[in-house]
Parts: sequence; structure tokens; C-alpha cells
Amino acid sequence: MKRTIFALSILVVLSLVLSACTPTQAPATQAPTEAVTQAPTEAPTEAPTEVATEAPVDANSLPRNETLYFNGQQWNAVVCWNPYSSNCNNAMALAQQDNARVPMFETPYLYNMLDGKQYPLLADGDYAWDEGMTQITFKIKPAAHWSDGTPVTAEDVAYTWASHIKYNTQFGASNKDYIDTIEAVDPQTVVVKAKLGADGKAVNPLLVQAYLSTNYVIQKAWTETLEARTGGDAAAFMADVAEDVVYSGPYHKFFSDDQKVVLIRDDNYWGQDASMFGKLPTPKYLAHVIYKDNAAGSVALAQGEVDVSQQFNSNIQVLWLNYGLPISTYLPEAPYGIGASLPTAFFNKNSYGLDQVAVRKAIAMAVDFDTIIANAMTNQSATFTQVPRSLMNPTPGEQALYDHDAVKDLQFAGKDIAGANKLLDEAGIVDTDGDGWREYNGQKLTYVATCPNGWSDWQAAIEVVAAAGKGIGIDITTNYPDWGVYQTVVTNWPLPETGYDIFMMWSDGAGPTQPWGRIRHLISSEFAETTNNWNGNWGGYINPEADALIQAIPTMTDEAELKAAYTELVKIYLTDIPSFTLMYRPQSFHAVNESVWTGFPHEGDGTNPPVPPLDLTDGWSIAGLYNLVLVNP
Amino acid sequence: MKHTFKQIFHSGKFVLGFCIFMALLLLVIIYPIIVTDDPLAIIGQGTFFPPGIYVNSYDSIDKPSPYILNLPDAAAKRIVSKLSESDRQEMKDWLLASGIPENEIDTTDTAKLMEQWETNYDPTKGLGMTYAKQRYYQRLDKSISGLLSPEGKIIAAQNPDTGILEQVGVINQSDYVNVGEVANVRVLMLGTDNFGRDMLTQLVKAIGVSLQIGIVAGLVATAIGLTLGLLSGYIGGWVDDIVMFFTNLFTVIPSFVLLVLISFSIGQDKRGATTIAIVIGLTSWVWTTRSVRASVISLRNRDHVNLSKLSGHSIVHIIINDILPYIASYVIMALILQISAGILTEAGLSILGLGPRTTEVPTLGLMMNWAMIYQAHILGKWWAYLPVLVAIALITFSMNLMNTGLDQIFNPALRE
Repeated sequence: MKRTIFALSILVVLSLVLSACTPTQAPATQAPTEAVTQAPTEAPTEAPTEVATEAPVDANSLPRNETLYFNGQQWNAVVCWNPYSSNCNNAMALAQQDNARVPMFETPYLYNMLDGKQYPLLADGDYAWDEGMTQITFKIKPAAHWSDGTPVTAEDVAYTWASHIKYNTQFGASNKDYIDTIEAVDPQTVVVKAKLGADGKAVNPLLVQAYLSTNYVIQKAWTETLEARTGGDAAAFMADVAEDVVYSGPYHKFFSDDQKVVLIRDDNYWGQDASMFGKLPTPKYLAHVIYKDNAAGSVALAQGEVDVSQQFNSNIQVLWLNYGLPISTYLPEAPYGIGASLPTAFFNKNSYGLDQVAVRKAIAMAVDFDTIIANAMTNQSATFTQVPRSLMNPTPGEQALYDHDAVKDLQFAGKDIAGANKLLDEAGIVDTDGDGWREYNGQKLTYVATCPNGWSDWQAAIEVVAAAGKGIGIDITTNYPDWGVYQTVVTNWPLPETGYDIFMMWSDGAGPTQPWGRIRHLISSEFAETTNNWNGNWGGYINPEADALIQAIPTMTDEAELKAAYTELVKIYLTDIPSFTLMYRPQSFHAVNESVWTGFPHEGDGTNPPVPPLDLTDGWSIAGLYNLVLVNP
Repeated sequence: MKHTFKQIFHSGKFVLGFCIFMALLLLVIIYPIIVTDDPLAIIGQGTFFPPGIYVNSYDSIDKPSPYILNLPDAAAKRIVSKLSESDRQEMKDWLLASGIPENEIDTTDTAKLMEQWETNYDPTKGLGMTYAKQRYYQRLDKSISGLLSPEGKIIAAQNPDTGILEQVGVINQSDYVNVGEVANVRVLMLGTDNFGRDMLTQLVKAIGVSLQIGIVAGLVATAIGLTLGLLSGYIGGWVDDIVMFFTNLFTVIPSFVLLVLISFSIGQDKRGATTIAIVIGLTSWVWTTRSVRASVISLRNRDHVNLSKLSGHSIVHIIINDILPYIASYVIMALILQISAGILTEAGLSILGLGPRTTEVPTLGLMMNWAMIYQAHILGKWWAYLPVLVAIALITFSMNLMNTGLDQIFNPALRE
């Protein structure tokens, strides 16, 4: 008996060890072609019967060759379908941002991050500024109509803006300082009047024109229905779940629960008119299974259950190099995507010693950025040798906006321990008591580098930042608070004097106001020392010279003048180092599995205008939905 | 005492467990003496380098090789490493799609296949294939270019004055280096992890830390359990009532839930390895208390205890001299189990992201956690987690074996 138990215990241990090995074989043994014929295996719950009666299929047995599967966008269940709300947690349908998400609701224009242009969607032709740049006029396409068949009119655009202001939605609040009114001249013509400054010029023309590709047009009749239902109460107006919402886009809700969200194509979509796309988008269903985490999403991508992946898949190249799966990214080689935003480490100016430029610069110089990019980002970022640091993202358009040679002497590529030590020595910040750590005015320099817990690539990057301290005699440890705590602390000035000395936050990506908007958010004193600050400059940097330039840029029209201003800003940024970029990150991660669909955006795919790698739902990237074809029709 | 030790070391199970445990312990003690590197030093720029011997390629091509080996199968091996059977088949598929008749393609004739490929392949031709496939062919084309060329490769260096590349040497296909003569060779027996840290060095350190956590947790739990059990069992009355009230309270709350809540509320900045160990100890003393109490109750009315009482010995004296020796073997066994449970609990906590903070020391649980975050299990990077799993399994297995061995000797019901 005892021997049996002994033998059994060995068996149990062995089986534990062996069972741990099995997942490694899963992607390898999964034949890519298998996935083509396989229907998705997730069968969470039955679709509600009223939905099932509307369509011949239910959400659990969507025809694979009519469905495009996503991952990485939707986490947790959808709350609402209300385009006036900013808390719907509805990543598949709602996102009014630089690259607005337009499968269900539409903006007048679509922003294309690859060429920086705004292309008409609901609008007919380009918009036009008047002589003194005080107002924009644009037309609505005659073909555009709502899902209930009524035409989209200028009155809808005007009423949407009026409602944003009346109910003080997030979208109204963030634009009302720059937009005065939006009026309908006739059913097809919209005039957007900018807020004017004392000099009679628009306060910020950049933000006025950005509104056109950022914010949805919402139907006036439906808005009035919503108002009647909520009785003028702003909170109720924004909290309405809006299941009855009228939309103009090519897709609408088919099914949604805590396991899955499915949109179905509206075959009456106006965009099949020759004045827009001339046909319907290819997939009938857009589906997003809600995965537990990135790892689960990666497995689904590898197994062909996901067609378009918008999440961070570490070492993505392994999937095609080692497993030979039909998976690819926008670029064939590292960094695999187009970098657009700059995840940044901010210095807390209140922390002891961090008010000294020498300390800030020495830390930034000592950090091994190549290791951050290779290890934390698994090479899914351009390096700082390829794209020297500035306030611009790595796209050619933004890079051309400043004079690289003028700031050459201020650049640092990282891992420059000797240079950093020299800088500190020269500044008189040395180790006076012989304990191996430097002191400033007799007090040891000791910092905590931090980012939210569970944000794996950021955490790994912060580990590398902390490691830099050892080489230059500055004691840096790491700490990863829960996101709930972290976000409350960093968005509300004053920051604590310890615990948040070097902390990571994001920057703007690509958009119609960039790079100006990103620079403003990174260094403008507008946001320094403020509370409930979701914009930027969380370290509290104040520089009147930078402020003046940031204020002047939106009204500058001369290109040389603009370039000089941007160059000066980069110079200020690289001299003062209020924060430093750790890596470049794409606007959206974009990997596709071509088991079922092909024709996804890839570099050099011949599309004109080029379709950006943004999930096929954001801004101009929605044009990619019309290029998809089945691998095995 | 001597007899007891003799008995213990006669138990095969105990000896096996003891040997495994001592081997791990020796590894933890001796390895850092030989390899003095910082276990958390980031040496690899890149993630999950596979286990193997890393030879510095710059050093190995630095000077002309004095070693020329004419091995008959060298060329064939080179070709196989770059052009597998499936690659040949894929090349055939491409050639077929581009219009070459099937009877003209022979995948076994490398020279002919390569020639056909070089004349026909055009990376700009999509041939209706997916992007993934087109890119596969582009990579293949790049990788096999010049495969059959008998020439060596030229090493060139930039002239600092003119900026022009100048030839400084040639590497021929039959040149070899003796690994022993290369200045920089690094053996990474278990490769690197997602941070580019040497897995083996880190693993050894982590085993040490996890053992410490286990021992501290075990000692804390056993100390509390033993003290409370002895007091409650021997004194009885209201002391027993109070102790049993708390023991029952802790029994009904699952200790892991309690542990998760406490770890979370401590906050990540204060969660050092020792703190975690103490917290684990503080939540796992219950069963020791109950068993010790039960044993003490059965002992307290024995004749020798009554005699001691009559002799006027103090409670402390009686507990230490007349009770403790009778339950000592049980306490040791409980301690061993608590240590192994402590190690497992730390691993469990760290996998949930509630373990010790990361930068200071590695622990087995943290290593598993990072391997999981960076998807080592999906990408087939077994060396990032399998050795850790084996280490955890070996530690707990050895301790449980020792425990079973001891049990057979001290438990009258099991004695052979």
C-alpha cells in the first residue's frame, strides 16, 4: 500500500510537470488550414431570442467566412450604445478620438494617420476656411442617410453640437473653448464658427478642424426622442443605454454580453453609393470575443480564431518564424508596426534633487533604451538610433517638422554611464559620505520608479530604468501600485514627495492636431499642477517660453516659421528633460491571421490613399474592410 | 537520540528526500561562489534566448583562422540548415504557381532547384497568395541567396579617414574556430528570461529565496501553532475556549483568501520577501494548533505528568520537560510540511501578482509570473518556466518524502 502511494505521488508530480509542458505544443500542432473550416469554439450563452428571430444565425454560430474576428479592443461587457456618453465601455462601436471608430456612427471626415489628411465621409468634398480663418464650411453628401432611411442633414450636425453643449458632455466640454457655434445654413451646408480671440482670429483653428474627424454626427430626431425620454436631465441623458439609437454607419449591434460583442452589417448602408465606397464592406459580421487577458488573446490569434489582433503579442515573429502560421504584421521586420505614440517617463519636480537638470539628464542618459526596446517591447518599437528622440512620433511627416541637425548635440542614445557620471560630477553632485550613492546638499539621492501593476511592457521598461541608477550612484527602486491607486495619484497634483519620483504615462498618438497636441500635452503649463488631469504634463513642468510657442503654433501658416517653432520646442525639451520617452508604440498594435481573410493593410499594399494599420474600424482604416477577400472563397 | 537518527536514516524515503533537499541546498550555497554574477543583471538584449553555448562572433572572426577542416558533410549540413524539406516543397509550389511545368521541377536536385528559383523568383509577384505567404518567400529567398556559392565571406571595416569599406579578411567555408580560444564564450545552460537575465543564476538565487520564505513562514506558523496548542491543550478552561474560538474562526476562512486580502492591503512597496513569509506564516498556523492541542490533551493526564505536577513543577517546566518531548517528532514533521506549503503559497501569490516586489530578489513564483506575462508558454519558451516548475516540484517532493519517512518511524500506527 505504502509503495503504491509512493508510486502514485511520483506519478502525480510527473503529470503536473508534463501537463505544464503541453501548452507549448498547442500552437505548433495547430495546422493553420484547420482554422479555416472551424467555426469559433466559444459558445458562451445563447443569444437572446428576439435577436435570433431577426436574423437567420445566432451569435454562437456565426458563419466563419462572413465574420471578421477581433481581439484586444473590448475588455468586459458593453455598458451602452449611447454616442453622447463617454462611459459606454463599447470599444467595438464607440470611440470619438483622433482616429474616430466609425463602424456604427460616422464623422464628417476620416483622419488617415499615414498621410495626415482628412478624407470626406459624411461630408461632400473638402472643408473650406473663410478668408480670416474664423469659420469652416462643408457640405453633407446627398447620398448619406440614417439607418431609418431619413437623410443625414446639416441640421443633425448642428443639433449634435447643441446637445453636447446643452448637456455638457465630455465632447462638448473639451471643444467649447475653441468652437463657438455649429450652424446649418441649408440642409446640406454646415458652418462651424471658431471662438475668436481678442485679435479677431480663431483661438485655435487646429482643434476646430480636428473636431470634424473626431466627433460623430448623431441624428436630431433620435436625440429629441432621448431628450423626451430623459426629461432634460443631463445625467440620465448620458447614462441612457440607447438600444434604439439611429446610426449612419455600415454596422450595428447584433449581439452583446460579457463574453462576446457582435456587429452585423446594414445592407442598406448609404456608403455603397458611388459617391463613397461604391459597395458594402466585405464581412457581414464584426465579432469580438472578450478574452481574459493578452495571453488568451494570443492563443486565439495563433489558432485562427482571431483575424485582426489589436493587443500586444510579445515576440509576435515567433508565430510565423517558428510555427509557420499565416500571421503577419504591417511591416515585415521589426518594429512590425508604425510607431505613433511616445510612452514617457515623467520626473516629479517635487522630488528631492529632481529639480536639478543634471540629475534628470544623468538618469535619462544612463537608461539602456536598446534593452527596453528589445526586451520590454520585444523589438516592436523603432530604436532611438533609428529615430532620435524629440517630441515627434516616428512617422516621416512629423519627423520632417523639426531640424534634426539643430538638436544633434542635445541627443542621447542611452546607456551612457560615463557621460552621466561626468555630468553629475561637474554639477557637484557627488558621493560625499562614501556609501556609494551620490548626495545633493548632503542628502542621498534615492528614487522610486513606478508604473501600474500588470502593465507588463511598462513594468519591464521601468525595471530597466531602475537598473540604470546603480551605474551612476543614484538609488532607484521600483514599485507597481494598482492602476486604481496609480491613476488617482498621478492625475491629481500635488504628487507625493516620494513613491512617484519617476513614473510612466502616455502621450498622444497620431491625429489631425499632431504633433502640436502631443507637445501641448507633454509640456504645456496649462496642465501643470492641476487636478483631475487626464491631459499630460503630470510632472508639473513650467516653462513660459515653451508655453508661448505652443500658443503661437496653431495660427502659424508659414512652414519655415512652423519648423523653427517646433525645433525650438524640441530644443527646450531635450535641454530641460522634464520627461523622457522610453519607446515608440504604435497607435494600435496590428497583427492579422490570414487563415480566413486576406487583403489586410500591409506596407506597400498598393492602396491609395494608403489604408493605415488601425483595426479596420478607426478613421480611414475602415476603408480596409472593403478590400478584404476570402482566402478560400 | 543516536538511535533515533539511526532509525531515521534507515528510512529509504527519508534518505531520498533528504538527498534531493541537500543537493538543492548545496546548489544554492555553492553555485554563487563559482558564479558571482548578479542574478538580476540584464545581460541579454532580447527575450528568451534558448539554452546553449554563446560564442562571441566578433571575437571568433577577429583573426584569420589557423584551423581548416575539410569535412565531407559540411556543405550538405549547411544546405539542410537553410533549406529544409518543407522549404523545397514550398519553392516547388511557388514555381508551379508561376507557370513552371511540374515535370521540370525536382526538389531533390538542390542545384537545379536553386537555379530555377534564382531565375524565376520575383518578390513583387503576389500570385494571389496571402501576405504571410509572400513574406515567407521573401524571407526564404533572402536566407538561401548564395547558398551554393563555394566562396567565403569578406570581412570589411570602415576606414576611419576616408569612410570607405576596406577588406580586412575572408572567412572561408572550411574555416573553424576552437571555442576554447575565443575570448568571450558564455554558457547559458537554461537560456535567458524575458528580461534577458541568465535563467540558471536567477533560478538558483530564487530557490534560495523561496527556501528562506518557506523556512520563515514555516517557523512562524509552527511557533504560533505550537505555543497556542500547548497552552490551550494543557491549561484548558477559558484559555482553551479563547484559543479554540480564534482557531475555529481561522479554520472557516480559507487561508489563501485571507492571504490575498492581506497581501493586497500591505501594498506592493512594502511587500518584501520576509514580509510575505511572515504573512504566510501568520495565516497558516491553524492546523498545527489543533493537532498539538489534541496531542497535549491526551498527554496531560499521563502518570509522569501528574507526578511532575505533584512535585510542584511550574507549568512552563512541565510543558517543556514532560509534554514537548512527546510531541517533538510531530512538530518537526508539521514544520517540514509548513515549509513546503509556504513555498507553494509564495508561488501561488506571485502568480497572482501579489508576491514580493520584483527588483530586489527573484523568487520561484515571480519567475513563473513573468514567464506567464511574456507568454513563454504560448511561444514554446519552455526554459523560462519548466525548470522553475521542476524546482518547486523537487523541493516540495523532497520535503514530503522526508515527512513520510519520519511518519513511518514516529507514528506507532505506521511503524513496520
